[in-house]
Amino acid sequence: MSVNGQSGTGPHEFASHTTSGAARPVRRAVIVGGNRIPFARSGGAYTKSSNQDMLTAALDGLIARFGLQDERIGEVAAGAVLKHSRDFNLTREAVLGSALSAETPAYDLQQACATGLETVLGLANKIKLGQIDSAIAGGVDSASDAPIAVSEGLREVLLDLSRAKTLPQRLQVLSRLRPKDLAPDAPSTGEPRTGLSMGEHQALTTAQWNISREAQDELAFNSHRNLSAAYDAGFFDDLLTPYRGLAKDSNLRADTTLEKLATLKPVFGKNLGAEATMTAGNSTPLTDGASTVLLASEDWADAHDLPKLATVVDGEAAAVDFVHGKDGLLMAPSFAIPRLLARNGLTLDDFDFFEIHEAFAGTVLSTLAAWEDEEFGRTRLGLDGAFGSIDRTKLNVNGSSLAAGHPFAATGGRIVASLAKMLQAKGTIDGRPARGLISICAAGGQGVVAILEAL
Amino acid sequence: MNTVPPVILGEMPSLSKLYVNAAAQAARRRVLGTHNGSSLPATGHEVRGVKADVGNLTAYQHLIGLTARDTLPAGYLHALAFPLAMSVMNRDDFPLPLLGMIHLSNHVEQRSPVLFTESLDIQAWVENLQGHRAGTQLDVVAEVRGAGTPDIKWTGRSSYLAKGVFLPGIDKPTPYNGQTEFTPPDPTAIWHLGVDTGRAYAAVSGDFNPIHLSVLSAKALGMRRTIAHGMYLASRALADVGPAKGETFTWDVTFDAPVFLPARVALDISTGQTPGEGWQRSEFVVWNHRSGRRHFSGSVAPL
Repeated sequence: MSVNGQSGTGPHEFASHTTSGAARPVRRAVIVGGNRIPFARSGGAYTKSSNQDMLTAALDGLIARFGLQDERIGEVAAGAVLKHSRDFNLTREAVLGSALSAETPAYDLQQACATGLETVLGLANKIKLGQIDSAIAGGVDSASDAPIAVSEGLREVLLDLSRAKTLPQRLQVLSRLRPKDLAPDAPSTGEPRTGLSMGEHQALTTAQWNISREAQDELAFNSHRNLSAAYDAGFFDDLLTPYRGLAKDSNLRADTTLEKLATLKPVFGKNLGAEATMTAGNSTPLTDGASTVLLASEDWADAHDLPKLATVVDGEAAAVDFVHGKDGLLMAPSFAIPRLLARNGLTLDDFDFFEIHEAFAGTVLSTLAAWEDEEFGRTRLGLDGAFGSIDRTKLNVNGSSLAAGHPFAATGGRIVASLAKMLQAKGTIDGRPARGLISICAAGGQGVVAILEAL
Repeated sequence: MNTVPPVILGEMPSLSKLYVNAAAQAARRRVLGTHNGSSLPATGHEVRGVKADVGNLTAYQHLIGLTARDTLPAGYLHALAFPLAMSVMNRDDFPLPLLGMIHLSNHVEQRSPVLFTESLDIQAWVENLQGHRAGTQLDVVAEVRGAGTPDIKWTGRSSYLAKGVFLPGIDKPTPYNGQTEFTPPDPTAIWHLGVDTGRAYAAVSGDFNPIHLSVLSAKALGMRRTIAHGMYLASRALADVGPAKGETFTWDVTFDAPVFLPARVALDISTGQTPGEGWQRSEFVVWNHRSGRRHFSGSVAPL
């Protein structure tokens, strides 16, 4: 209820374009900037913070950075992988708790670890089609404050109990309860169809592609070194706001060495025929955190005097048949990227930055190995030979998930905002805009990839 | 600002000890039939270098229905300063019985945002002793400054009534202007307050006043049943006003009737907004959903 009958900050503004949808040209969607909170290892600084707390904290910083107080944003989309059922409207609730206009619509999206990138692609498409002029994409996850469900036995008893009408019926239902039904059902990173954890799945793939322990440790070492250097250079100064006393990702080990990483004991793949190579050092830890990205049409960004870092060029999703081992669980991007590049007439040589999400060092290296493999190129990708190789100096140059940590749905926003900033700094190369490729693997054998370009 | 230099305490006093002490003092005064004159202690108390506990802050924020942000909610600062305010009312030269005092109203000025990481100096004193038609009332003032600075970030003025206590010389009772008419509007929200509402707020605020904890302990102090903390209710209303109020504001509450637990109370928040200028002011009123009796009302306005 309101004093003057006005429930919002001002009258609804209506888009000025009046052309019919068919006649409206597709326009560009630009990345204005991003904000995230530092990522914290689970059980650390954000242990008691909920998904809504962290998503709101990331939003708060974005709103402050770009002056979005009372602004009615076209749409906000975010999600969490580990989400309690009471958080069905997580993103809308975060918007209502923020300084954005309460007239900003929002929706939740969930595509496992690809959630964050998928929100960027979906909202960018709406901007491109002229459906909205501005958008905030994001993601959040808490492994610390994870929802715990009651067991299937207790759940069935409780539901039947609510339907029972008489006392004898109720007693009959209650008599079905067994002690084991009282054990809670905690979420896991296991695949429902295989019962294998993500790490065990990756261990199969790592062994299949003969990825060495040394190569994985080196990738992990580079991730920490690059992330640490990026912090030292102030790269994250306008990408991050402190939260709960944390100003840097708590998983970052600036002083780690290849020697230290080599001392860690393998944790995945210990019962395979091949040597176990995956350790806590070259696998991402469970992490808490949130990220957001501000997207807009060029006109909206100009009208609000905001920067335009990069454009969202195109995106592609893929999935693999991992259930009986035809492909590795996290190998979908190795199919998505060749399709995406073919559609855009590009090759791996046309990129200046590669942001390949480090779920495990083995995931990145298996993907690169598959692209360099002649047989994989011919039989699986339908090419004449190998898909190609990348210049490793362009890979995850400001660090990635092995160092920063990986709050599942928040990783996409972290990568998009960082890459957009790097592209803007790079500007133009050989007469073309600097270009970056993003690859994110996800549970369920899925992957989402995207191309960003400097303006 | 109080002009008499405050007594500096080494640490924040313990509320549970203060309540025990207050009960003992009440018994002593009853037996001996003594009282301490008709003036308030001129000296306030101060604790320096106070820091919020982040775990406690998060628990408070979630209980009140707030997002766990890094800034301290205005109601949390009240809870942080409350033991100090209580310690002043616990002094031997404080003339009124502490237990059973009724919180009449509260006025807070949030002058600048306070981060949980900040170190704070907190001072509390009492003033404005005056007659009331039902007894004697006074103001307890708390002030929060950045540690070692004169920079006042938050002030709170709480008016309390010692019901049935009439002090010699304080004989100008405020006129009784009758029960103000209240017709409940259509509610904007309903709060379902469980029997454990008082215990839950006591756990995060440290205010274990027996009237909030159980029916038995409430009855011992003359209450029919457990009642909700006034500042819990007022803080929830402030939270429900939402983020539009910004980081600096004034927050006023007048308490009418206690909320006996469990309860279903109705809330109306009216927000004044002007296109282009944003939020101007919010008013709230909370009443018993069934009887229509008003529990409390107040407003949040720009500083």
